[in-house]
Amino acid sequence: MIARCLTVLAVVALTACSGARGTGGGSSAPPSAAEASRFLTQATFGPTDASISAVRSSGYSQWLDEQMTAPQSSTHQEDLTARLAVIRSLNPAGTLQPGDVYWSFWKHAATDQDQLRERMKLALSEIFVISLTDTNVRELGTGSYYDMLGANAFGNFRTLLEQVTLHPMMGVYLTWLGNQKEDPVTGRNPDENYAREVMQLMTIGLVQLNQDGTARTDNLGRPLPSYTTDDIAGLAKVFTGYSYYSPNPTNTTFAGRNLPADATTRSMIPYPTFHSLSAKTFLGVSIPASPTSNPSGDLKIALDTLFNHPNVGPFISRQLIQRLVTSNPSPAYISRVAGVFNNNGRGVRGDMSAVVRAILLDTEARTLAITANAGKVREPLLRMSNWMRAFGAASDTGEWRIGSTSANTSLGQTALTSPSVFNFFRPGYSPPNTRVGNAGLVAPELQIVDEVTVAGYLNTMQTTIDVGIGATTNGLRDVRANYASEIAVANDANTLVDRVNLLLMSGQMSSNLRSRIVESVNAVAIPATGPQTTALTNRAKLAIYMTMASPEYLVQR
Amino acid sequence: MDRRHLLRLGGAMSVLGVGAPFAMQLAAAGSAAGQSMSDYKALVCVFLFGGNDAHNMVLATDTDSWGRYFATRNTGSDPIALMPVGTSPTPIGQTSGITGRVAAANTPEAWGGVLPITPKTPQAIPAGTNASVRTFALHPFLSPMQSLYNQGRLAVLANVGTLIQPTSKVQYQSRSVPLPTSLFSHNDQQSTWQALSTEGARTGWGGRFADLMAGMNGGNTLFTAISTAGNAVFLSGQSIVQYQLSTGAQPAVVITGQQGNSLFGSTLAPSRVRDLITDINFTNNFSADYSTVVARSISASTTVSAAFTQGIVTGIAAAPAYTNPISMQIETNSLALQLQTVARMIAAAPGLGVRRQVFFVSLGGWDTHDFQNNTQPNLLAKVAHAFSYFDGALSNVGGLDRRAQVTTFTASDFSRTITTNGDGTDHAWGGHHFIMGGAVKGQDIYGQYPTIGPDIGGFNNPDNISGYQIPTTSVDQYGATLGRWFGASEPELDIIFPRLAGFQSRNLGFL
Repeated sequence: MIARCLTVLAVVALTACSGARGTGGGSSAPPSAAEASRFLTQATFGPTDASISAVRSSGYSQWLDEQMTAPQSSTHQEDLTARLAVIRSLNPAGTLQPGDVYWSFWKHAATDQDQLRERMKLALSEIFVISLTDTNVRELGTGSYYDMLGANAFGNFRTLLEQVTLHPMMGVYLTWLGNQKEDPVTGRNPDENYAREVMQLMTIGLVQLNQDGTARTDNLGRPLPSYTTDDIAGLAKVFTGYSYYSPNPTNTTFAGRNLPADATTRSMIPYPTFHSLSAKTFLGVSIPASPTSNPSGDLKIALDTLFNHPNVGPFISRQLIQRLVTSNPSPAYISRVAGVFNNNGRGVRGDMSAVVRAILLDTEARTLAITANAGKVREPLLRMSNWMRAFGAASDTGEWRIGSTSANTSLGQTALTSPSVFNFFRPGYSPPNTRVGNAGLVAPELQIVDEVTVAGYLNTMQTTIDVGIGATTNGLRDVRANYASEIAVANDANTLVDRVNLLLMSGQMSSNLRSRIVESVNAVAIPATGPQTTALTNRAKLAIYMTMASPEYLVQR
Repeated sequence: MDRRHLLRLGGAMSVLGVGAPFAMQLAAAGSAAGQSMSDYKALVCVFLFGGNDAHNMVLATDTDSWGRYFATRNTGSDPIALMPVGTSPTPIGQTSGITGRVAAANTPEAWGGVLPITPKTPQAIPAGTNASVRTFALHPFLSPMQSLYNQGRLAVLANVGTLIQPTSKVQYQSRSVPLPTSLFSHNDQQSTWQALSTEGARTGWGGRFADLMAGMNGGNTLFTAISTAGNAVFLSGQSIVQYQLSTGAQPAVVITGQQGNSLFGSTLAPSRVRDLITDINFTNNFSADYSTVVARSISASTTVSAAFTQGIVTGIAAAPAYTNPISMQIETNSLALQLQTVARMIAAAPGLGVRRQVFFVSLGGWDTHDFQNNTQPNLLAKVAHAFSYFDGALSNVGGLDRRAQVTTFTASDFSRTITTNGDGTDHAWGGHHFIMGGAVKGQDIYGQYPTIGPDIGGFNNPDNISGYQIPTTSVDQYGATLGRWFGASEPELDIIFPRLAGFQSRNLGFL
């Protein structure tokens, strides 16, 4: 409660920004349809008629409350378990494939009611990255990992960090599962992979940060590093002596053999024999050498140290803002959110529900800025989900049989399948020889935009809008929209475009774009006599395609 | 003056040039085509993303070096030490006489010994190495590289990495010289290799070479810096932007919604779609930047699609099937596929009036913290398969041997620790690299191959700290040697590589 009041006060105090217009989140007036759509573009996999109505009647804050307390939908693990049973019924030796994870991803992204949680899962999966490109990362475990991100989306960051760390799929992806203590005789060192990446990518980053996300510098203006190679070596010793869950842990199960069926979905467990006993020094903390192995005690010290590092608030807040709202948040915006991370108003650090609330209710999120560098490029997965939800796409099989969309002639992106732990794109990517880059700003999503992927996206959407997407059965794609609501108004190009504009662009379409679409739609003649359905359907498809093709749509503002 | 300024004007004009009808451009190139065939140069950067363990790619086999290598790596749950020169493969399921372990498809015992290579120029013996002659070998799955080496078209550059200035172990330990920022961090070292500074760098040395030479490409400067591997800062120049080619059936993917007579029943729509997706007049910079790429994609796709239908281009055959030497399954070799596209572009270049090109291709998966025995040998075999294929493809482009005009070289985030963590290796620093081409002074090892082995048992390796090799050659020297061949002048090299003057040799001699 106190946190919310503080946020509201901050919003009121800051609404007078120049170069911006619109209403702040603290306004008592109910959101307009366009404002609700814009909010839902940030907070969900895409607005729908129903969700716009819900936000308008509840208001932002209450909607957030409802979403955060809504029960988590059925899990990916359940989907994949059921899917495996089907596969095994056809072939006793059959196994899950990455595509089975993608089906489950789309089903939940497109249809779940707890949309804020769904949206956070994707955002978190782009910070705490595991990837099915690594064949050691298994499908059932990946579903469980994605469920775990959702279960912790509105919990505490410390718990999230621990569950990420101990999840066996993170263990195999960043190779600390089965990591062994050093051996001074042979010179063998512990694997440093997780120790390095948990610091660089998931908690504190490379350089020391002020609360507003700017780098702390030395007296020559050089950024101060957050850690050294010695810190990595010290922390790597902590991340030794853990492996797959087993009711009867042995050296064999440590090595990943003779495992129970649920080994890829249960938290890793300590194997004290393999845990380093020597002194472990990192980030100003020293765990003394000990004759007794204490894997969980050492892990607690390490995770507490990371969690309490002053960088975490600005480091994580900035990235979540980038995933949900805008690529280049102001330092003040980052500082406000990081402040909430540091203390939710009730003395609690790492309260993710407060952080998400602070991000979405901040004046910088709620104000439609007309400045040149406002917003972010929509990532391809969100464009596709936007179409699915706006136009009520449904799956004939109920399984959302959409396989990999990673090819650069497709979307160039598939959930949980980035090329490396550095995600599909980097939070600090600044495209060279561009207006955004020349302004010294970042545009993470432009890292996967090139001459091939722009064509891949447009061609994929043209086909999807026309005939749907996914596996084909009897000539029909599994996932299709019927456009009934659009066809109903397609007689009048203006009304049709208004509707598409609201659902896809939160009413932000320029008059120039609008007139190009209206003109083109009007060129689809509606027969004076006889069936009109084909023409009306074509009008709807054309308005949607042209909108989704437009450079205006491609930027979420 | 201002060659650079002129080049920038050339670049601006080329925006129109790319859109010009292909036939017109061919006519313009016209009789120059034959001449441009003989005046053509391409650099091909093969980036090994993740950090290749060069210790298991090019090995020192003199008794002293090999002894420490083998002792260091023949340990752990899944030892990664390769077998000595001349060792026969141990049949799977049988016990190796060398290690006493039972061989499996994914253990070095089954692969046989490393493959010897002899440098024309004897390597100097570094401090800490007790040998009268240094001898060398390649990973057992690099047999095609061994043959390219022995035919004189492949060279090795030893222990190259990111440096600010020459750095000794003592200087490193006392921090008495400046060091590259964020050593051992993947993204930052990738960027430092490609662009000489950490993530966020704006121009790479491939793009800077392209800036210099784009004036030789007539109206088609867009085809000066080409990637098949997505956006890479390596190819960004001050004015040159990279162009992405697809390795699919269509090298330039045509946006279907803006061509044809009708779209969803609207005859007006295709032209309106084209207007709106290529509109760059936006207040919002993200929109303008996005549509700039779309506009480039559309205008280039016509030219590229036409150029790639020429017989000289379609005559470049695909690579033979690739078999994973461990699983014995046929796999896609994405590197060979990318190099096929590059070879086709090179074949198309004379017709496009393009005489200087920089390419960027990549292969990922080298971050072998564990299961190194499963992954790295397969990746090395893919490199060898792809290089061998590319060498063959360039040997006959429409009846001409173009190999002397194309120099292909490897780069990677960093190499990996000589020490093992049981079944893999960690991020390190200096590593060895390959340079291939008809202009390469092959069958030789350039730079200084360092002393091998970690500091254990009283041994103090002057070239190694905590398992990683301190580079004895800098990326700047490597790049400058390539750039000089490509056509950059000495003053230009000093601008592109501002730290070059701080190193002993400006020219490593492999070209």
